[in-house]
Amino acid sequence: MNTTVDWVQLIIVVVIFGGVTVMGFMASRWRSAGHLDNLDEWGLGGRSFGTFITWFLLGGDLYTAYTFIAVPAAMYATGAISGFFAVPYTIVAYPIVFMFMARLWSVSHRHGYVTPADFVGGRYGSKALSLAVAVTGILATMPYIALQLVGMQAVFETMGLGGNNTLAKDLPLLIAFAVLAAYTYSSGLRAPAMIAFVKDILIYLVILVAIFYLPHVLGGWDSIFGAAQEKLAKPNPATGKPTGTFIPGEAGYVSYWTLALGSAMALFMYPHSVTAVLSTKTRNVVRRNATLLPAYSLLLGLLALLGFMAIKANVNVKGLDGLANPQLAIPRLFDQEFPSWFAGIAFAAIAVGALVPAAIMSIAAANLFTRNIYRDFIKKDATPAQEAKVSKLASLLVKVGALVFVLGMDKTVALNLQLLGGIWILQTFPAIVVGLYTRWFHRYALLAGWAVAMLFGTISAYNVVNPATKKHFGGSIANIPGTETPAYIALTAFVLNLVVVIALTFLFRALKVPDGKDSTHPTDFVADRGDPGVKDLPEILDDGGAATAKS
Amino acid sequence: MSRLSAVKPAYWISGVLLVVAVVVPLLVPTYAKVDPHLWGFPFFYWYQLMWVFLSAILVSISYKLLRTEERRRRAAQGLGDPEAPDAGAAKEGDQ
Repeated sequence: MNTTVDWVQLIIVVVIFGGVTVMGFMASRWRSAGHLDNLDEWGLGGRSFGTFITWFLLGGDLYTAYTFIAVPAAMYATGAISGFFAVPYTIVAYPIVFMFMARLWSVSHRHGYVTPADFVGGRYGSKALSLAVAVTGILATMPYIALQLVGMQAVFETMGLGGNNTLAKDLPLLIAFAVLAAYTYSSGLRAPAMIAFVKDILIYLVILVAIFYLPHVLGGWDSIFGAAQEKLAKPNPATGKPTGTFIPGEAGYVSYWTLALGSAMALFMYPHSVTAVLSTKTRNVVRRNATLLPAYSLLLGLLALLGFMAIKANVNVKGLDGLANPQLAIPRLFDQEFPSWFAGIAFAAIAVGALVPAAIMSIAAANLFTRNIYRDFIKKDATPAQEAKVSKLASLLVKVGALVFVLGMDKTVALNLQLLGGIWILQTFPAIVVGLYTRWFHRYALLAGWAVAMLFGTISAYNVVNPATKKHFGGSIANIPGTETPAYIALTAFVLNLVVVIALTFLFRALKVPDGKDSTHPTDFVADRGDPGVKDLPEILDDGGAATAKS
Repeated sequence: MSRLSAVKPAYWISGVLLVVAVVVPLLVPTYAKVDPHLWGFPFFYWYQLMWVFLSAILVSISYKLLRTEERRRRAAQGLGDPEAPDAGAAKEGDQ
C-alpha cells in the first residue's frame, strides 16, 4: 500500500490544477457581452454557446469524475450488469435527447425559462408542480456533487495524501473545493465551459494511452477478459452466488436493459444537463451535439474495460482504513502500471474532471432554488440582479452542503442518495417531456403520479438489502412487484407514475377539476434564434431581464 | 391514412431511425453471448461498442433530414436563418 507521498504525481497535479484555476477566474471575461449580474449571463453563460463549446461542456458535464471512477469500479467488483450497462445507456440517451430537447430549447428561449421547473410552471400553470420538479432536481443533484468529491478523494488517497489526522486527510479536498467555489461565484457557467476543454483533452489522452498501452503490458485483451471471467465466476463467500456477471444470463436481461433505458431517460432530466443545453445559441446545437457526443460513449466503454484490466493487473484496492474499496481500482491501476509522471497527468484529469460537473451542478441547483422557490414563493418581485445574487449565494451553499456530506457522513450515505437521486429524477419525465408534446395530462394528476412514484421508488430502494453487508439501499435493482423479474427500480416507478397520471387525468377531466393556464403556444416549441419573440441576450437585458420576460 | 400521409417523409423516416437507435441496443438477448470474438473481445463487448458508431450514424442521418425539412418550412414561412451571425441581435459567433 502507498503511504508516502509521490512527489512527481503531486507536483504535476498541483501545476495542472493551478493552471485550471487561473483559467476559471479569467473565464468571466471570455466572450462576455454584458455584466454577470443577471441569471442569463451568470447561470447560462449568456446563452451563446455553439456546437463546439457545447460539445466540450456537455461532455465535461455528463461524463463526470465520479463516472470515470465508478463505472470501472463496478466492472471490477461485479461486472457487466452494474458496469457495462453504461454503454447502451449512453448509446440510447442521444436519440432520446435528439427527439425532445430542441422543443425544450425553443419554448425556453421564447419564454425566458432558465430551469425545467420554469417550463413546467408555465406550461401547466401550477406552482406546486413546478416546486415538485425543482425540489426533485435539487435533491437529486446534491449527492451527485458530493460524489464528485468522492472521486477526487480516491485520487488524493492513491497519491499518498492524507495521514491519520483528519485535517491533513481532508485538506486537499478543502483546497480544491474552495477554489471551485470561488471561481464559480465569480465567473458562473463560463468557468466550467472553459475548464471543460482542459478536462476533456486530458481524459481523452489518458484513456487512449491506457487502452493501447495497458493490454500490451498485461498480456493482451484475451487474457484480460479471461481473468475477468474467472474472477466474476468465483462464488462470493457471503452468498455462495457468483461474484458478478461477465455476460448477463437470461435472468439479467431485464435488469440490463431497464438500467440502460431508465438511466438514459433520466440523464437529461438532471438540472445540470438542462442548464448546459439551454446555454446553447440555436435550437439545433443540441441536435448536432446528439450526433457528436457518442464519441464520449466510446470513451466510457473503453474506460469501463479498465475495470477488467485492474482485475488482470491484480491491483490492491485496500483503502487507508484497511477495507477493500473498488473505487480505488482505477487510480491504483494507473499508479501501479504507469510511470509517476503519467499517473500524475491521469490523476489531474480526474481531479479537474470533478470540477466541471460540480460547478455546473451547483449552478443548476442554485438556478432552481432562485427561480422556483425564491422567486415563486419568497420574493415575487425579485429583479434580475437580485436573482443572480441569490443564485450565486445558493451555489455556494449547495457546494458547502456537498462538502459537509462527504466529510461529515459516511461515504455510503452519498452513494445511497445518488442512487435514490437517479430514481427520483426520472419521475419528473412525464411533466417535462410529455408536456413538450401535449397538455392532456392534468396538473394534479402529474403531481399525484410524481408523489406515488417517489414514495414507491424510495421504499423499494430501501428494501434492497445487500446480501453481504445486510445494509439497506443495497442496489438499484428489485423485482417488479408481483413477478420474479428483477428490473431497475426507477423504470418500474416510472411506469407506476404514468399509470397513476393517466388514470387520474381521466378522473379529473370527468370531474372538471380546474386546469391550469397554459402560457405557451404551439409555435413556441419550434421557434429558433432570430424568430419574433425569441430573446437573444441583449434584448433580454433591454426588457429588464429574463425574470420579467414571461409573456 | 390521410393524416398519416400528411406527415412529411423526413419526419417519419427520422422517427423510424431514432426508434431503431433506441430499441435495437436494448435487445439484450440478441447479443448476450461470448462468440464470435473480435480482436480478443467477446461478442457482448465489441457488439455494444459497435453500436456507439451505428447509433451516431442513424442520429446523423435524422439530423440531416430534419434540418433540410426545417429549412424548407422556415423559408416557406419567411423566417430567417438562425445560424446566420446576425440572427437575433448582433453577437459574436463561435462556429
